Amino acid sequence: MGCMGKNDHATIRAVLSGDKEAYGALVVQHSRSVFRVAYRITGNEADAEEVVQDAFIRGYRKLESFESRSNFGTWIYRIAVRCALDRISRRVGDKNDRAIDHAEADSEAVQIPDRAPNPEQMLLSGEIGAFRETAMHSLTPLERTAFTLRHMEDCSMEEIAAVLEIAPNAAKQAVYRAVHKLRQRLALLKVRT
Amino acid sequence: MNHLSQDELIELYYREDAPEGARHMDTCSECARKYEALQADLADMKALDPPFLPENYGEMVWNSISGQVPVHAGLRRPLFQRVLPRQSWLRQPLWIGLSVAATCALLAAAAFYAGRLWEHRNSPPPIASHPAPPARQRVVVVVLSDHLDRSERLLVQLKHANADDTQLAMPLRDEARSLLAANRKCRQEAEANGDPALTKALDHLNELLNGLANQPGGLNADAIAKLQAEMNKDGLLFEVRVLRSRIPNRQAAVHLKGGIA
Repeated sequence: MGCMGKNDHATIRAVLSGDKEAYGALVVQHSRSVFRVAYRITGNEADAEEVVQDAFIRGYRKLESFESRSNFGTWIYRIAVRCALDRISRRVGDKNDRAIDHAEADSEAVQIPDRAPNPEQMLLSGEIGAFRETAMHSLTPLERTAFTLRHMEDCSMEEIAAVLEIAPNAAKQAVYRAVHKLRQRLALLKVRT
Repeated sequence: MNHLSQDELIELYYREDAPEGARHMDTCSECARKYEALQADLADMKALDPPFLPENYGEMVWNSISGQVPVHAGLRRPLFQRVLPRQSWLRQPLWIGLSVAATCALLAAAAFYAGRLWEHRNSPPPIASHPAPPARQRVVVVVLSDHLDRSERLLVQLKHANADDTQLAMPLRDEARSLLAANRKCRQEAEANGDPALTKALDHLNELLNGLANQPGGLNADAIAKLQAEMNKDGLLFEVRVLRSRIPNRQAAVHLKGGIA
């Protein structure tokens, strides 16, 4: 989950003493790993950029609560995962809101066709990333995050539970449910091709 | 043979401590086939490679957020927060509250003591020291002469009492009860002082007082007549008068602790 620079603690003390610019060094050192996990969870670059900024701002504001025995890289990584989870949860909420709006307007409005590529189009165009992303969209935000952390970030179930602030067994169940759903989705897509 | 469930296959895939599943895979071709399919599906879900990031990506991030964060004043935190680990029980609200309360109590006690000390050093010396008066003790002084006076009056009343006069019974009984306790005390003092004549007379008086005060069935005409006879036989009234005359100016007093009316 990232590594702790030897000077991170000294840098944090400097920031807490009022040297705001010192935080820039921490951002430079850890921003790439934060971006990576943010990108894998959110699935797109723009959201990942937002998550990186949110995570470092949130980290700066909570820096006083950072424990000296902790690893800053791990700490900011966890904050980033929480930010990413929040973001995809909001995204799902927005989609649901739009779906409700559309349903209400169905009777009187002209329906606008969905311009997003359907699975067949994506497969035909060879967009593997989009194919994978379509399968990932079948997951809830929690399942998606847990699966990403386990499958792509190689986190243990205990680490996932700690990051998501859930019980280890709940983390395991979230990962297993995600695999079930992904396989069902993939099977469907493979049949269509 | 029980085949592995999909959860068990997933558990095996992520190596979540499934030794039995691993052994089963060695002997079950069907489960092995399912496991290969799972591996293929999950291989399709390989990690997304993040897009290319510029060399100065970290600086760009910092530049974009540095204007949104204030300068920290973290070292202004209370000393205990900086010194104690975050999970320390001493940082729990209850203990913080108790610590503050204890500190306030200590300061108040110190201020009180300092005030007392200052007052003591700056007060003028006392002009004269007087011993503190002894604590007041509830003391009833029974003067023997008074006791004998009251006893004499009671005996006179009894001597001249009409046995049929029931209205007299109650006052006689109450007065006798009142005198009983004092008589007991006087007798103890007489005995302690080695005065057998007084002791004997007070013993006789005690019997009569007890008969008046605690007559079984109440102080009726028969009881009064009986007591009158006893009094006359013993010459108790005379005896009391003689004792009374022996101590005309004597300040005989018996100190009684306790409540004697």
